[in-house]
Amino acid sequence: MTIEFIGEDQREALQEVANIGMGQAGASIAKVLGEFVELSVPQISAVSAAGIPAALAALAGDGVASAVRQAFLGELRGEAIVIFSEHSAHDLAELLACADVLDGPAERELLLDISNVLVGACLGGMAQLLRTTIGFSPLSLLADQVPTSMLLQADEISARCALLVEVRFRLEKRAFRSHLVMLMADDAVAALRRALDRFIEEL
Amino acid sequence: MTAAAQLGETCALLESLVERIDVGIFAVDRSGTVALWNTFMAVHSGKSSAVVRGQNLFTVFPELPRPWLEKKLESVFVLGNNAYTLWDLRPYLFRFPNNRPITGGLAEMRQNVTFLPIRIAGGEVGLVCGTVFDYTDTALAQHKLHDAIAALHQEKDAQAQLIVKLEAAQNQLLQSEKMASIGQLAAGIAHEINNPIGFVNSNLQTLKKYCQQMLQLISTYQEGEAQIGNVQLRGELSALTQSMDFDFLQQDLPELIKESENGLLRIKKIVEDLKDFSHVNKSDWQYADLNAGLDSTLNVVWNEVKYKATVNKNYGSLPAVECLAAQLNQVFMNLIINAVQALDESRGMGTITLSTGHQDEWVWVEVKDNGRGMSAETKKRLFEPFFTTKPVGKGTGLGMSVSYNIVQKHHGRIELDSLAGEGTRFRVWVPVKQTSIAD
Repeated sequence: MTIEFIGEDQREALQEVANIGMGQAGASIAKVLGEFVELSVPQISAVSAAGIPAALAALAGDGVASAVRQAFLGELRGEAIVIFSEHSAHDLAELLACADVLDGPAERELLLDISNVLVGACLGGMAQLLRTTIGFSPLSLLADQVPTSMLLQADEISARCALLVEVRFRLEKRAFRSHLVMLMADDAVAALRRALDRFIEEL
Repeated sequence: MTAAAQLGETCALLESLVERIDVGIFAVDRSGTVALWNTFMAVHSGKSSAVVRGQNLFTVFPELPRPWLEKKLESVFVLGNNAYTLWDLRPYLFRFPNNRPITGGLAEMRQNVTFLPIRIAGGEVGLVCGTVFDYTDTALAQHKLHDAIAALHQEKDAQAQLIVKLEAAQNQLLQSEKMASIGQLAAGIAHEINNPIGFVNSNLQTLKKYCQQMLQLISTYQEGEAQIGNVQLRGELSALTQSMDFDFLQQDLPELIKESENGLLRIKKIVEDLKDFSHVNKSDWQYADLNAGLDSTLNVVWNEVKYKATVNKNYGSLPAVECLAAQLNQVFMNLIINAVQALDESRGMGTITLSTGHQDEWVWVEVKDNGRGMSAETKKRLFEPFFTTKPVGKGTGLGMSVSYNIVQKHHGRIELDSLAGEGTRFRVWVPVKQTSIAD
């Protein structure tokens, strides 16, 4: 099932914005974490509500994963989900200058903190290019070490369908692989289209 | 009012708001120097704005997790986005006493902290403002909730266990009801059979006497046969005697009667055993001879045993034991049937050894077979209701659990000794007197 949210021009513009945004994000993340992060080229797709859990599971691969969600608010509205398909608490603790992780809450806090940095950098970068401001909600843990097919349940999704922008992160020499998925519900995509149109005009 | 005056008024309002608001507000610059410290922070930390402002945050509060917090602040300076700490993951940032010095609860104030980037004149992030929210009440409520849920879970588990016990008890009851009604039925049948056996036996005795008399009469006639003058009649008599094979008849008749007598005796014995076994009218505690009980039980199940095993008896002399004889017989029956079913038929006739003995205030009854023995798993689950190693339809899986309960009721115990491939030995121990044991 293909869902047409945005026109071809808008799609190209979004891809462009995402590419540049991620480039900037990579630089800022490196500044914060003190390590170079590999980012993939963002992938844009449209999925039905029922397809979202499967799409997340496909990104995370087999095995277990954790996920953190954070809402972004403003002209662009939606939710970002960071999926940790592979990580070592010890490595993350080092990145964030934490005392080595001892317990569950401390490890979960690490995931939230890393997610805050990734989401803030990537979405902040895109918002800046689109000349709009977005705010972020506090983060919450969506799933903690569950089979990837259970990261999100279809019946928990209220949107009919969603636009999905996905970026992969890797850290050299560290056990860390994660995906950032930016989800915008169908009714929020109109605002994105307007912002993209503005971006195209200003080119 | 001039614009300057207006601005002044707005600033005063904002300042008063920041001071008064029931949220901790502080701000630091990139070097960690405190630029703002509102009343909430002053009241809870015990350090006034005058003391803290202009100082490095980590110098004033050396207990803060410095590398981590510096990194967090740095991420806000660099990315220009909010950062957070949540009370359920990190209970507090600043160690403030809680707001319940009297009513108690948690030792430190639980805090959610949001770090906000403050851009001076719209440029770079010049300050990071921290807002500290008191989440102690929420935390307390959540703890109570957690406790309540844990208690509920515990209760639920206890109930589930009770239900399992209840089911087991009900099944035991069903099984013993079943055994009781079988016993009653057996006793009823025994009684019914006793009547015809009575008159058949009495008739047979009479018949025996008549036969003897008739044979005596005939032999007297035979002696006088030569004196019969009528040749034709003599011929007829001799032909008849020969065709009937009268000599054999005369010899066989008493034997037939004797065999019938034996048959009747055996029926009487079986009926007696059935009555003994079921003890229908004796369901209360009484002194009984366990050797006799074991024998009558063996007779009841003899048909199951005789083609599969030879039975060795090794009875010791036992005192009369205070027991529910019918129920103990049921235990013996279960053990004997199990022993027969455990035999390996491919090895031909098995051997079952029944032994009894007496030691101090206790007696024991032992059933030993040379069958297949038990696996460790079977030994572990032996007394579990519905556990059976027999094919579907062969065993209910209740025999051993019922036996266990009967022996428990007698304040006794069942010893088990089994080796896979070698055989199994069950020994039932019961006290001679219940009163010396009970409570």
